[in-house]
Amino acid sequence: MTTLIPPTAETAAAAPSARADAPRERNPLALLGHQIRYEQLSFWRNPQSMVFTFVLPIVIIGIFGAVFSGSEGQDFFFGLTGMQYYTPVIAAVSVLGACYGQLAIVLAMRRQTGVLKRLHATPLPAWVYFAGLLVHCVVVSIVDVALVFGIGALYGVDLPTHWGAVLLTLVLGAASFCALGVGVASLIKNSEAAPAVVQFIQFPLVFISGSYFPIHAELLNTIAGLLPVKPFNDAMLALFTQDAGFQWRDLAVLAAWGVIGALIAVRSFRWDPRPE
Amino acid sequence: MTAAVAVEGLQKRYGDHEAVRGVDFTVAEGEIFALLGPNGAGKTTTLEILEGFRERDGGRVEVLGRDPGVKADGHWLRGQVGLVLQDIAVEPYLSVRETVARNAGYYPDPRNVDELLDLVGLNEKKGAKVKDLSGGQKRRLDLALGVVGRPKLLFLDEPTTGFDPNARRGAWDVVRNLRDDGTTVVLTTHYMDEAQALADSVVVIAEGRIVASGTPDTLGGRDSAQTRIRFALPAGASLADVPLPVNDVEDGLVTAETTEPTAALHRLTGWALDRGTPLDRLTVEQPTLEDVYLSLTSEYVQQEASSPSSARGRKTPAGRGRRPGRSRS
Repeated sequence: MTTLIPPTAETAAAAPSARADAPRERNPLALLGHQIRYEQLSFWRNPQSMVFTFVLPIVIIGIFGAVFSGSEGQDFFFGLTGMQYYTPVIAAVSVLGACYGQLAIVLAMRRQTGVLKRLHATPLPAWVYFAGLLVHCVVVSIVDVALVFGIGALYGVDLPTHWGAVLLTLVLGAASFCALGVGVASLIKNSEAAPAVVQFIQFPLVFISGSYFPIHAELLNTIAGLLPVKPFNDAMLALFTQDAGFQWRDLAVLAAWGVIGALIAVRSFRWDPRPE
Repeated sequence: MTAAVAVEGLQKRYGDHEAVRGVDFTVAEGEIFALLGPNGAGKTTTLEILEGFRERDGGRVEVLGRDPGVKADGHWLRGQVGLVLQDIAVEPYLSVRETVARNAGYYPDPRNVDELLDLVGLNEKKGAKVKDLSGGQKRRLDLALGVVGRPKLLFLDEPTTGFDPNARRGAWDVVRNLRDDGTTVVLTTHYMDEAQALADSVVVIAEGRIVASGTPDTLGGRDSAQTRIRFALPAGASLADVPLPVNDVEDGLVTAETTEPTAALHRLTGWALDRGTPLDRLTVEQPTLEDVYLSLTSEYVQQEASSPSSARGRKTPAGRGRRPGRSRS
């Protein structure tokens, strides 16, 4: 059996792109920028993903605004008014949806349709692909949070003053939820089941984490506090109530879940729709 | 001669089904190589092993001098190898141009996007969203994505399935141009005219084994096969009058097979002229690649069915080569 003869220095110099052993690599950061750009394009062009990602949180916070109109001065949750409670918490739910929910479903779909298989056949490094998705999800989360905060402000909620803490909490939360999204996508066998599996995990978590009504049951709060959603809710809530703002403990729990999601993803993420 | 692809004793098993059972072939650099065979023969499995999507159970494989089963070589190979798969998989909401430009950005030395769209005949559609393309247009987009990185080696899995005749000719021209630029092409197809028109060499695979190999013109002894002369028996003539050994009359046509077509035709037409009767519906044909392919694969299938040792794992001929739930292999 014959093998390819490595190119001589002469042929390599004549055609740098044809060098067999040292192809010119694209600058990874430029490649990441390229990937982020097209990930954004794919997203903003798709009317369906726009509606689910942006309209749903707006509608929900709008409904809460209507529910609590006229009770602005009343204590709803440890000295907070209804809208002071729901503005950060619904913003947190929107981040969960944009990062965990959307990402798990989109990845399961892309795998099923063969998009991931095709992508994996190009020289695009996997880390660039996932970093591109992460940046995309953070951008979407920032837009979501800004929209929900904006509507909260319309209903008279004072916005947080520590924007650095807001951004850090947001990015850490988005990254952890993204990792969990990729982890769950790794475990989903079939894209048709993806929305059901995603909701099956998300809905009870959101419910017991006080996202739709505050929970005072101590045992439930202890359990939910160890799961990923409530720590993020609490961290977001703290931004509105305390001057300190940054909740290390909550964010540590959240980051631990992110690491678990990432480990599952690294162990079992598949690119091919038809595994052996 | 250098080999772009070399395969020796390749084996692949799915459960107790042996999809590929010891396949050997070599693809020379710069040629168009066609892998032919019925559904379930092991073509796609073989291709997927070469492409690095599947792991083999045995044998040796070298693609551009590297082993596609070695993860460390994967990144290098992905930069050198282009793929056009059977499933069209592209983001639906990007435009044609954006889709190609996105993939172009993944390669160190991509083709010019607009020239490439010209080459595959999608220039007029470059602003259209991918979801609005016809099936044939999507496949041409897929072809563009397969070659945008200037691959040294291109795998085409049934590249023209579903094309109209004009689009097929266009796609063939594209593939020939790529070969002429030095790209090695490995393709699978069910169209024997496609293999005839494109391939420099051909391998026929059935039930996971190679049953014949050669060039399209010599496959299965096609070059030395008998020429078939057919004509309608002239009115008033009987079969015994015909100056050639004739086999039978079918649909009113007499068939004579010969290895000396020039002499045979001379005798036949001389006889007809002497009688003063025309030879209606006269045709002279070599066996086509399709004839050879069908006889090669059907022979093999009959042989297999009567061999008790090969019946293991497959109870009925209808189930041969097919695993439940797999649409292709």
